Amino acid sequence: MTVIPTDLKAGGKAEREPGKARALLGYLVHDKLALISAIYLLILILAAIFGPMLVGDMATKLGLRQRNLAPFSLEHGWLYALGADTLGRSILARLVVGAQNTLGIAAAAVVTSMLIGGALGLIAGYSNRWYSQVIMRLADIIMSFPSLLLALIVLYTLGPSILNLIIVLAITRIPIYLRTTRAEVLELRERMFVSAAKAMGAGSLRIVLRHIAPLVAPTLITIAAIDFASVILAESALSFLGLGIQPPQFTWGAMVATGRGYLANAWWVAFWPGLAILLTTLSLNLLSSWARTVADPQQRWRLQTLRRAPR
Amino acid sequence: MFGYLGKRALHSVVSVLGLLVLVFFLTRLTGDPSYLFLPLDATPQAREAFSTLHGFDQPLHIQFFNYLGDLLHLDFGESLRQNRSAMEVALEAFPQTLKLAVLAIFLAGALALVVGSLAAAKPGSLFDRFASLVSLAGASAPDFWIAIVGILVFAVSLDLLPTSGTGSAAHWIMPIGVLMLRPFGLLVQVVRGTMIGALSSPYVKTARAKGVRRQKIIFSHALRNSLLPVITVAGDLATSLVNGAVVVESVFGWPGIGKLMIDAIIQRDFAVVQSTVLVTACAIFILNIAIDLLYAVLDPRIRYQTS
Amino acid sequence: MRNNGAFSTIALAALLASTALPALAQGGGKAITIVLPEQPSNLEPCGSILTDVGQVLSQNITEPLTVINPKDGTPQPKLATKWERVNDTTWRFHLRDGVKFQDGKEFNAEAVAFTLKRMTGGAFTCNNLAKFGSAKLTVTPVDRLTVDIKTEKPEPILPALLSVAMMVSPATPTDKAVNDPVGTGPYKLNTFTPQTVVLDRFDGYWGKTPEIGKATYVWRGESSLRAAMVQTGEAQLTPAIAIQDATNPETDFSYLNSETTAIRIDTEQPPLNDVRVRKALNLAIDWQGMAELFGADVLRASQMVVPGINGHNPDLKPWGYDPDQAAKLLAEAKADGVPVGTAIKLIGRNGIYPNGNEALEAMMTMWEAVGFDIDLQMLDVADWTRYLQKPFPQERGPNLLQIMHDNNKGDAAFTVPIFYQSSGQYATFSDPKVDTLIGEALNATDTARTKAFQEILAEVHDRIAVDIPMFHMIGYTRVGKELDWRPNLTTNSEIPLAEIRLRK
Repeated sequence: MTVIPTDLKAGGKAEREPGKARALLGYLVHDKLALISAIYLLILILAAIFGPMLVGDMATKLGLRQRNLAPFSLEHGWLYALGADTLGRSILARLVVGAQNTLGIAAAAVVTSMLIGGALGLIAGYSNRWYSQVIMRLADIIMSFPSLLLALIVLYTLGPSILNLIIVLAITRIPIYLRTTRAEVLELRERMFVSAAKAMGAGSLRIVLRHIAPLVAPTLITIAAIDFASVILAESALSFLGLGIQPPQFTWGAMVATGRGYLANAWWVAFWPGLAILLTTLSLNLLSSWARTVADPQQRWRLQTLRRAPR
Repeated sequence: MFGYLGKRALHSVVSVLGLLVLVFFLTRLTGDPSYLFLPLDATPQAREAFSTLHGFDQPLHIQFFNYLGDLLHLDFGESLRQNRSAMEVALEAFPQTLKLAVLAIFLAGALALVVGSLAAAKPGSLFDRFASLVSLAGASAPDFWIAIVGILVFAVSLDLLPTSGTGSAAHWIMPIGVLMLRPFGLLVQVVRGTMIGALSSPYVKTARAKGVRRQKIIFSHALRNSLLPVITVAGDLATSLVNGAVVVESVFGWPGIGKLMIDAIIQRDFAVVQSTVLVTACAIFILNIAIDLLYAVLDPRIRYQTS
Repeated sequence: MRNNGAFSTIALAALLASTALPALAQGGGKAITIVLPEQPSNLEPCGSILTDVGQVLSQNITEPLTVINPKDGTPQPKLATKWERVNDTTWRFHLRDGVKFQDGKEFNAEAVAFTLKRMTGGAFTCNNLAKFGSAKLTVTPVDRLTVDIKTEKPEPILPALLSVAMMVSPATPTDKAVNDPVGTGPYKLNTFTPQTVVLDRFDGYWGKTPEIGKATYVWRGESSLRAAMVQTGEAQLTPAIAIQDATNPETDFSYLNSETTAIRIDTEQPPLNDVRVRKALNLAIDWQGMAELFGADVLRASQMVVPGINGHNPDLKPWGYDPDQAAKLLAEAKADGVPVGTAIKLIGRNGIYPNGNEALEAMMTMWEAVGFDIDLQMLDVADWTRYLQKPFPQERGPNLLQIMHDNNKGDAAFTVPIFYQSSGQYATFSDPKVDTLIGEALNATDTARTKAFQEILAEVHDRIAVDIPMFHMIGYTRVGKELDWRPNLTTNSEIPLAEIRLRK
C-alpha cells in the first residue's frame, strides 16, 4: 500500500515548467541527503547497464574451495573485496549483475502496472457503463487476492521466468494506479474544459486521451517513483519465500534468501544484498520525499530561502 | 448513511464471491494434490483412489457446484493435510495474525504521531532530519532481512529475547518490532507532512497570535486535523498486514493465517487456501467499511450518499 | 481503550506462559522440548512413513510388530516376539504377551487383524500402504497371541514390510484418519495444537520405563533458528540442522541418514540415449568440490542404496572427476552423429535437500565447461513430480532430474524395481536383461537375493551408466548438553524418546 499525499499532483507540473531545471538542481544540491541518494542511484543505474558486460563472467565463476570467503581482503583480487558466496562466487560481481535484474524487474513491473492501471482507471472513471463497475470489483478482488497464491499459480502454469515474475508483480500493483486514476478522472470530467470539448462534438475517446489523460499522467508518474521502492521489496520478499525468481537467475532478494542460512557463520552472504536493497529503497524514498518538498509551495521556501540566505 | 453502507456491503459480497470463484479455479491449475499428499513412490492405483476419495476425479465444473452447494451449508471443506475442517483451521490461525497486526498498527501509529509532530514542530532541525532518515530507513528495510538479523543479534548473541514462537510477552517483541517498521516509517512521513501544513494554516497562526502555548497548539489543534490522513494510511497498512504478515510469521514461527496460507498454497491443500482467502478477504472488506465509518464520525463534513 | 486491549493481550500471554513451562512433568521425569523442521501435518498412524508424522509418532505413541536393525537391515522383534514362514505365501507371527494399549484395551491377534484391516480398508488414504506395493494381505488370528498373514504372491520380506504397520487400538475409527492416535508405545498423546504436540509418559507401558517424562514438540522452518533454540536452551534437541549450522562438536552430531542424492538421466531422449554422453555427464563433475557443499562426512555414492541395506554392492567404484575424458567422450559421440549440442533441461526441486539449489548451479557450470548446453529450471514440488513419475509430460525433451531417494527399510527391493525395471514408476529406460534380473531378485531369498541385487546395481552403473549417483547424505542434529542421545540411520523417520537418557 503506497501512500499518496494529495499535494503530489503539483510535482509533475512544476518539473514540466520551462527554466526550472536549474532551480531544481539548486534545490537538490542544497539537500545533502537527496543529493547523495541521487548520486547513488545514478551509479547504480550505470552499474546495472554496463556492469554485467565487465564482470558478468565472474558472477557465475565457481570457487568451491573458497566458499564463503570472508570480505575486506584483496588477496583474491578486488572482486572478492566483499567476500564470496556459498559457491565461492564474487559477491561484488553478483551484486552488480543482480542489480540489473532487481531494477529491471521492478521498473518493468511499475511501468506495466501504471499503463494498465491507468488505462482501466480512465475507463472506470469516465464511463458510467456496467464495465466500470466490473473494473472496480476486479480491483477489489485483486487487492484481496493473496499475491503469494498468484505467484505460485503463475509459476506453475507459465513456468519460472523473469517475464512471469514481472506479470505477477504488475498485477498486484494495478489497483493503486487504477483507483488513483479513477478518482482524478471523476473530478476532471466535471470541469469546464471537458464540457466545452463535449459541446464542440469531441468523442469520448478523444476527450479521455487528449484532455484528461495528460492531466492524470503527472500524478501517476509521481506514484510510480514511490512505488518503485515497494516493488523492489515485494520482489525480494517473493524471492525470499521461494516463489519469486528461480536459479540460475537471481536478484538481490534471491541472494539474501541464499545467504540467510549462513548468517551465523558467513553474515556477508546475506548482508551485502540486504544492504543494497535497503540503500536503494532508502534513496528512492529520500528523493521522492525531497520531490514532495519541492513540489509543495508551503515547504519549498525551506530550500529556497536557505539557499539564498547570506551566511 | 445506511444506504451507503448497504451499497458498500453489496459490493463487498460481490467481490468476495468473485474472489472465491477465481481462487477455486486458479488453485486447481496448480497441479494434482495427490503428488504432495501421497509418498513419492505411491502406486498409480493409490493415486486414483485418493482422487476419487476427495472428488478430484470429477469434472471441474461439477467440483465447483459441489463446493458452492457445501458453502450454502457453511461447509468449507476438509483440510487434506490436517484431517479436519478447513474453516476451523483458518479461524484458529486468524486471531493470531489479527492480534499481531492490530498491536503493530496501533503502536506504530502512536509512535508516529509523537515523532512526526515533534519533527513538524521544528522543520529542518536536527531532530527532524534524524527522524526523517530513521523513518524512511524503516519504510525501506526488507523485513525478512531485519527479522533474521534481529534473531541473530537479540536472541542468539545477546540472549535477551526468545528466538521465536509464542508464549510470554517477550515473544511478541521481535515480531511486532519488525512488523511495525514499515507502517511507522510511512506514518511519520504522513504525520509530519500534514502537521507542517496545519501549523502554517491561518487558524493556527491566529491561535499563536492570541498567545496560546506552542505545545498546546501542536497537540490540540494541529494534531486533531492530521488524524484523518493518518487513519486513511493506517487503514491501508492494516489491510496489508492482515493479508501479508507472511514473512514475519514464517521467520518467527508464528501460527498465524499468513503462514497457514503459504503452507496450504505450497501443499495444495485447496480447502484451506479457499478458507484462508475467504477469512482474510472478509476481514479486509469489514476493515475498509469500518475506516469509512470512522471517517464520517471524525469529520462531520463528510456525508456518504447513495448515489 | 484500544491500546488497553492490546496490552491486556500481552498480559494474558505472559500469564499463560508463566504456567506453561514447569521443569518437571506431572508424572515425574524430565520434560524436554524438541524442535522439528516442519509442523506434523496430522498424527494418523497410517502416515507414519512421512518424516513429519513419524518423528513424533513412531516408537513413541505407536509401535509395529517388527523394527529394522539399521546396521544390517534385518527385522527385529517388537510387538511380535518371533515369526516363521508357514508356506510360500503365509507367515505366522507370535505376539508379545501383556501389552496394553494406552486406552486400556489389550493388544492381541484381534488387534493386529483390526489394524491391518483398517490400513487396507480404503475409507481414507493410508500412506504406509505404499510400501506394500500391490501386496494383498489376509489376516487370520490363530489364537490369542498368534496370527497368520497370507499374501497372494510369495512375499519373502513380509516381516520387514510389517515394520511400517503401526498397531492401533481397536477403538480407533476405521472410516477416517485420526489426529488422536492410541497405540502401545511408551508415550501417550496429551495435546495437539497448531503450536505444539505434547506427549506424556504412559505408565502402563510393557517395556522399561523411559527417563523422559514429557516431550513437547514445536516446529521452525529455519535451520539456523532451530540450532539457536537448542543453543539458548529453548529446546533440547533438533533432528535436522544444515551443515553450516553444525559448528559445535560438543552438541552437533552427524549421521548417515539413509538418503541418496542423484541426477536421473532421461535415457529415452537423444542425446542422452548414448552411453558415452551419460558417462561424460558423470565424469564432468568435480565430486570433491561438490562434497564441500554437503559436509566432510558425506559418502560418494555409486548406487541408490546406502551401505547396510541388503543388496548394496560394496565393490562398485563411483565415477571420478575427469573433465578431459568427458570432453573426449562427447567429441566421439558427436563424430558419430549424436546431437550433443542439444539443450538439456536440468530440472531441480526447490528445497529438496540443504544446498540443493547451489548443487545444481554448480553442476550446470561444470557441465557447460565440458561442452554441454544446460538449461537449469527450479520447480515447485508438484511441478517437479510430473517429471519424476510416469506418465511423463509430453514433449519433455532431453532432461536431467534432481532426485533424492530414501531407503531405510532394509532391502534393495524398495529401490531397484522403481528405478530400473522398465515398468518402474521412475524408470526412464528399459533393458530386457535388467528386467529379467530384477524379476529373479525379487523372488530370491537370503544370499542369493543379496547377490542378485548387487549384480543389477553393477549392471546399471558400470555398463549402462543409467544415472548420476551423487552422495549418500549426512544429516546433522543438535542435542542439548543435558541429553545423552545420538542420531542413527533411522533418525529421519523416528526419534524414540525412550532411548533418550539424561546426562548425570
